[in-house]
Amino acid sequence: MSDEADVFTLAHDARESALTEAMNELVSHHRAHCTPYDRLLSSLGHQHAETYERLDDVPWLPVRLFKNHVLKSIPDDDVFKILTSSGTTGEEVSRIFLDKDAAATQSRMLSRTLQTVLGPRRLPMLVVDTTSVIKDRRSFSARGAGVLGMLSFGRDHVYVLDAQGQPDVDAVRRFLAAHGDAPFLIFGFTFMVWVRLYEVARDQGLDLSNGILIHSGGWKKLTDRAVDNAEFRRLFARDTGLTRIHNFYGMVEQIGTVFLEGPSGDSLYAPDFADVIIRDPQTWDEAPVGTPGLIEVVSTLPRSYPGHALLTEDLGVVRGVDDGDWPGKRFAVLGRIPRAEARGCSDTFSEAAA
Amino acid sequence: MTSVVESRFPEAGPVEVSQLLHQLRQPPPGGPLTVGDPRVVEFLIAFARRLLAPATARRYPELASLGFFLRRSEIDRALGRVVPQSGVLRFPRGLVFHVPPANVDTIFVYSWALSALAGNHNVVRISARSAGAADVVLAALQKAATDAHPAVAATQRLITYGREDEVTAAFSSSCDLRVIWGGDRAVSEIRRHPVAPHARDLTFPDRSSFAVLSVEGWQAADDAARQDAVIGFANDSYWFDQNACASPRAVYWVGPADGAQAVRDEFFSRLAQVVAERHFAVDTSMAVEKIVATYGLAINDVAATVQFDGNGVAVATLRHPALVPRRWLGAGTFPECRVESLSALVEVVTRKDQTLAAFGFTADELTRFVEQAGHRGIDRVVPFGSALSFDAIWDGYDLIPEFSRLTTVRTA
Repeated sequence: MSDEADVFTLAHDARESALTEAMNELVSHHRAHCTPYDRLLSSLGHQHAETYERLDDVPWLPVRLFKNHVLKSIPDDDVFKILTSSGTTGEEVSRIFLDKDAAATQSRMLSRTLQTVLGPRRLPMLVVDTTSVIKDRRSFSARGAGVLGMLSFGRDHVYVLDAQGQPDVDAVRRFLAAHGDAPFLIFGFTFMVWVRLYEVARDQGLDLSNGILIHSGGWKKLTDRAVDNAEFRRLFARDTGLTRIHNFYGMVEQIGTVFLEGPSGDSLYAPDFADVIIRDPQTWDEAPVGTPGLIEVVSTLPRSYPGHALLTEDLGVVRGVDDGDWPGKRFAVLGRIPRAEARGCSDTFSEAAA
Repeated sequence: MTSVVESRFPEAGPVEVSQLLHQLRQPPPGGPLTVGDPRVVEFLIAFARRLLAPATARRYPELASLGFFLRRSEIDRALGRVVPQSGVLRFPRGLVFHVPPANVDTIFVYSWALSALAGNHNVVRISARSAGAADVVLAALQKAATDAHPAVAATQRLITYGREDEVTAAFSSSCDLRVIWGGDRAVSEIRRHPVAPHARDLTFPDRSSFAVLSVEGWQAADDAARQDAVIGFANDSYWFDQNACASPRAVYWVGPADGAQAVRDEFFSRLAQVVAERHFAVDTSMAVEKIVATYGLAINDVAATVQFDGNGVAVATLRHPALVPRRWLGAGTFPECRVESLSALVEVVTRKDQTLAAFGFTADELTRFVEQAGHRGIDRVVPFGSALSFDAIWDGYDLIPEFSRLTTVRTA
């Protein structure tokens, strides 16, 4: 593995001091270049000259603000790319503004992160999705964006599903015949990987033992099927030979930063330029190891928009520090908090009815 | 027409819409209902008694308020407002179709009860998701009906149905008056279905409400009066997650700058304490909602400062009194601003403003303000703690007259 790729090296204390310094610089940078961000920090009582001693002192933004507001630290003329988040129909989407530098940085750092488990060369790639998911670029889904973002990490791409969304077993067999005896990349969303790849591979006796699976997307639908991460890994290994499995956690609002599951599958880890802080939702202080709370994601990558410290609406827990596959915190994502609902007479009948 | 609805009161399971409408058009046993019909009055009083039962009232304080509203003395007061005139006879309008909001469990009871009191036949659509307080209401109605005159069960229906437009259309075209609660969108949606030419709508769309507190009035009040005011304000605000149309959202401190800051700080610090003591729940989702909303105000340059006292109380200081956001910002979120005098608020008032909750002013001061602002809006002025108390005059309508019609008799 090249040194270039190695971004899982920093133990907790070293990481925290490096990130704290970087965050202080980023806060000043965004205050200077994003007036709305500066206004917000001032309204919360943060002085311009303020120095944050600890990483968890750094002010965070709730991630949903990117849905309701234009927050960017670059002039309009420098906007090179606007990324939008997922969101079900009718829901507002986040808008993330990148200039050329930011776009290059995010893809470089994503690549360094994934090379940790993929190696330096592009591998043949099985995509657990349909080609149609990336075809219509105007009505891009989060799934489409996710697939598209990953394609550059592989070559000789083969889609597991046909245009109707049915598994194309012949295509997979041809792929395995051509590439199955050396490492190859498998990418997909967790639920799709389970119902569209695992079940087919098991039933058809496909050998995935040289595969490296990268997957993301949450466990909720699988929990309904009584499949958790451990079971997922156990059955893939037992029935298909696939043992190199890496879940990841990331979001468009912190593009380029992914929190990657370690080789043993025990937890997620932050790359050296990022971290998570689990916050107690009553006090907003950092929760102790083992205590669940809301996940704040911290990353040095966002310079073109103030997304360097974001409070997500996901619950998570830190399971240990400097005691796992890679240095730093190891953590798990436990699920999303529901959107707040209020009683009150301004309710919309049509939405609430029936 | 073969649409079917579920009859929740009287409990009768699935009923065909056409059949239900046919039944509701029949004169009830004992003859047509009249305005203030004793058969209905006795039933409502029996119903109220059940809501005021200590166990129920403790568990659902909003039902106790409802019970008070339907005591005999209150009913007499509501009926007493329509003064008989010679040569003018008052009659029920006929069939009234009520579409209440789906997520306030109990508000439908007020307008339905007043309509019944006016002698109307009523069909009320209630949410299928009804739970808690609404179920208690249904059970109390059921029990009260067993001892009531059969005319009540024959003329009053609470029903549940899904999104079927044809059911809404059928009741809309058959009723003499349609009562629509809910958001602006809900009102517009229901209005897509025409009513009969002689019929009309009584609508209760989105409203917003705010509070005013006199700096001098506060300074003159003793500790007990201050604490009462804060408790009343907390009830007004938190009972329905600050999302009832009458719940105050913004707070204006009225008076000189020196002193206002101290009053504000004391008020919010007492409020945070009351909110904690009374366990007004602000869960994680709600806390995030409030953070998103208040941070958004700062980002948009509407708020100069944002402060949280725990998750319970969020305060956003407005840059200008007219910048007040009227949308819901999460339970326990208070935009606030100081103004020199009440008259400075005249230009802030819009037609959307419903309730002004006031503390520390004289009746003259408030009346003078309403005289100045009345052409713009505001439907009611109440003391802290009374914002959610329903009244027979609501949103500018005197409801018993609205629910009835007049016939004049001239003989010469």
